[in-house]
Amino acid sequence: MRTSRPVAGSLAVLGYIIMIVPILFVVATSFTGGRTLRFPPEGFSLQWFEAALTYDPFISALVSSLQLALIATVLALAIGIPATLAIHRGAIPGKGVIEGLFLSPLIVPELVVGLALYQQLMIGFGLANFETLLLGHTVLMLPYAVRVTGASLALADPALEEAARGLGASPLRAFFTITLPLLRPGIFSAGLLSFLTSFNNVPLSLLLQSRDFRTLPVTMLDYVQQSYDPMVAAMATLILAGTVVIAVIAERTVGFAKIFGGINR
Amino acid sequence: MNAAAEFAGVSQVFGDFTAVDSIDLRIAQGKLTTLLGPSGCGKTTTLRMLAGYAAPTSGRIDIDGVDSTRTPPEKRNLGMVFQSYALFPHLTVAENVGYGLKLRRVPAAERQQRVQETLELVGLGHLAASKPKKLSGGQQQRVALARAIAIRPKLLLLDEPLSNLDARLRVHMRAELRRIQSETGLTVVLVTHDQDEALEMSDDMVLMRAGRIMQQGAPQDVFPNPANRFVADFLGYENFLTAADGSVLAVRPEHLDVLPVGGPTAAGGLALDATVTDVAYRGVDMLVTVRTVDASGADVRLISDVRSDGLSTVSIGDVVTVTAPPSRLVAMAAEVPEPVR
Amino acid sequence: MRTRTPALLLLPGLALLLIGFLIPSVVMLFAPPGVTAADIFGRLGAMLSDPYDLRIIGRTVGLGLIVTGICVALGFPIAYLLARSTSRWAGVLLALAIFPLLLSNVVRTFGWLVVLGSNGAIGQLLTGLGLVDAAPQLLYTELAIVLGLTQLFLPLAIISCYSAVAQVDAGLDDAARGLGASRGRTFWTIVIPLSLPGIVVAATLVFAGAVTAYTTPYLLGGSSQRMLSTQLFSYASVTIDWAGASATALIMTVLVFLVSGLSSLVARKGATS
Repeated sequence: MRTSRPVAGSLAVLGYIIMIVPILFVVATSFTGGRTLRFPPEGFSLQWFEAALTYDPFISALVSSLQLALIATVLALAIGIPATLAIHRGAIPGKGVIEGLFLSPLIVPELVVGLALYQQLMIGFGLANFETLLLGHTVLMLPYAVRVTGASLALADPALEEAARGLGASPLRAFFTITLPLLRPGIFSAGLLSFLTSFNNVPLSLLLQSRDFRTLPVTMLDYVQQSYDPMVAAMATLILAGTVVIAVIAERTVGFAKIFGGINR
Repeated sequence: MNAAAEFAGVSQVFGDFTAVDSIDLRIAQGKLTTLLGPSGCGKTTTLRMLAGYAAPTSGRIDIDGVDSTRTPPEKRNLGMVFQSYALFPHLTVAENVGYGLKLRRVPAAERQQRVQETLELVGLGHLAASKPKKLSGGQQQRVALARAIAIRPKLLLLDEPLSNLDARLRVHMRAELRRIQSETGLTVVLVTHDQDEALEMSDDMVLMRAGRIMQQGAPQDVFPNPANRFVADFLGYENFLTAADGSVLAVRPEHLDVLPVGGPTAAGGLALDATVTDVAYRGVDMLVTVRTVDASGADVRLISDVRSDGLSTVSIGDVVTVTAPPSRLVAMAAEVPEPVR
Repeated sequence: MRTRTPALLLLPGLALLLIGFLIPSVVMLFAPPGVTAADIFGRLGAMLSDPYDLRIIGRTVGLGLIVTGICVALGFPIAYLLARSTSRWAGVLLALAIFPLLLSNVVRTFGWLVVLGSNGAIGQLLTGLGLVDAAPQLLYTELAIVLGLTQLFLPLAIISCYSAVAQVDAGLDDAARGLGASRGRTFWTIVIPLSLPGIVVAATLVFAGAVTAYTTPYLLGGSSQRMLSTQLFSYASVTIDWAGASATALIMTVLVFLVSGLSSLVARKGATS
């Protein structure tokens, strides 16, 4: 394929280099035995992993980020799935407008939403930064919940639920025994995407930080600004490893491509 | 006569699957040749190799006497009509038909004229400005045909061109294709799995199975003389009997008569006592299924297609004599061995 | 009862959207604390005539366009090769293109510090080979931002183009070749026009992402190569200039809405013609 299409092939190679190679450099430098971020790394050691895992600000930020991502994901699903059901199955007027409303957090720049929440809720309303972050992240995850589960709901035949009703199941029972299991892959995908989006978020979280509750990506950004040592590389490598594990789980359960029905608008 | 195309020892192997197994094939100039066979027999692969979309694993393909085995499709100047039609959805009918002419740098005025002529030939002169999506299946098929003809190809290749049309239109298009072929004098290669289509349209038919050619010839020669059991089966010989010498005799259902036991039978013909197991009334005719024992001692099931008015009454369980005149018994080699694939 | 259920199911979501998104956003954009809408639009006017602010806006839009161009130019061929390939490696390569979307932007962008930094790979390579005396300044340049943003948004471009190319029947390629078109000709006259909607989507996503990204200009552009996003952050948290922050947020939002509107207009026009 490459020999017959030299131009497309070269562009593709260039594209993959830009996408992948910097990530490999992060991994390589995280194992350095030296004191600075330089390439090629000087010797091999695990000292920076040890440093990262015993550096309090990183660890508490990691715990905070996991906590935030987990709660925001659960909240977004708990609020988003019922809304999706209402939009797709309910007899309500203006479905298109309502669905558009639920997807609207995707189009407004996250930094702008972050600024709005910081100014209006944290400063104006005195809301604590964890609550503000949680609110913001849940709003940001809502489109994923609505879109991804909506896509699998559209594939589920409404006649199945009717058949269950005909066999004597109550509406609630029909939903929990028939429709919900059919939505499981969609819900799983939405949850996974939401979790990662929340965990990795910078622009929305940027202004919503406090001394007591900071998220990991923002903490790492701050650290890079102050110090140029490979500890961040080690932390980045650990995040990479965690993401790979999640990606493998995703591939084994629902398949990679399906999940990205959600990101691709 | 000169061959428009010639295959010599051509094979196509995908991994451990042999799609086409060392075939030799001559496509006669100015004739309509059909490649006929069940799905997976290698007919479409053969056509795609001829068109240049698939390179043979081994062997040689000459087009117009020139070795074209490795020539890319765009250099072959063959017109191909795809099963899916493959019309360019973003171009109008006229732009579709003119696409190949534009590539050949035919001046705009001449191009327009040739497009219009070709569209008239297929009866779509009035639809030049439409987009393909707006057309019916039959019309799309004609556009695909016009697009292939417009470049004045050395050969016109048709891949199951009628299979996506409804039954009535399909029969009509067979005649249309023959008309267009005789008006243009093009050499046509048509792939089909429909034996009626092949019989009705071909000058020359090539029966394929499992990547091999089973028989080639004019329909008038092939139909009454199938070379082996596969060909006979494919052409609708439903009754097979093993003779005492081990050879196979085939009889078409309409040539098998059902008579009361003990009636007169033609000398040298077939006459077997049998038990009726099923009777299906079909209006003009009836299908009578019987069980009997052939000369080799094997238990066989035969189907007779008799005119409803020619037979008084037959019911399940009746004992009858099934007969066929000697001229209707086709002897052939026993089952061809299944090739290793 | 049955007719009211759907409305009840929507209620929590709508409340969340109002409190956590719509009301704060509108108030922030048009009436932040101690500032009137008139102040914001006055500030907007001043920004659009101030050379320093104009340079930031120009850099944001300009780099956004460049990154969009590069991402489409690289992403489309990748999508095309992957969609048309029958090799089993195509699946692996597609997964490799999608994976970065799951990975933190901080992690991905951090890699460029290692590659472009003064002790980084390229600098060391150039000085090591004796081509230059001192490593050239690569970090904190517009080039660094372009590379970083391209890395970030190329996967998005690939996915959008991929779903578009995959929908173009490969039989059309065959048909065009059979009519005498070379591979290149087939690509430009058949594949590209038919994938245009996907390309428009890709371009929109990349542009909207590039002009609002924060991590990349912050890490790779530094304070010398400000973009709208880094400028907004500095108004909001360093100078606490609410009018400036709102005006900058308005520019960013309008930019994104503008390209989204434009692209859906193009898509609609493409659908009707």
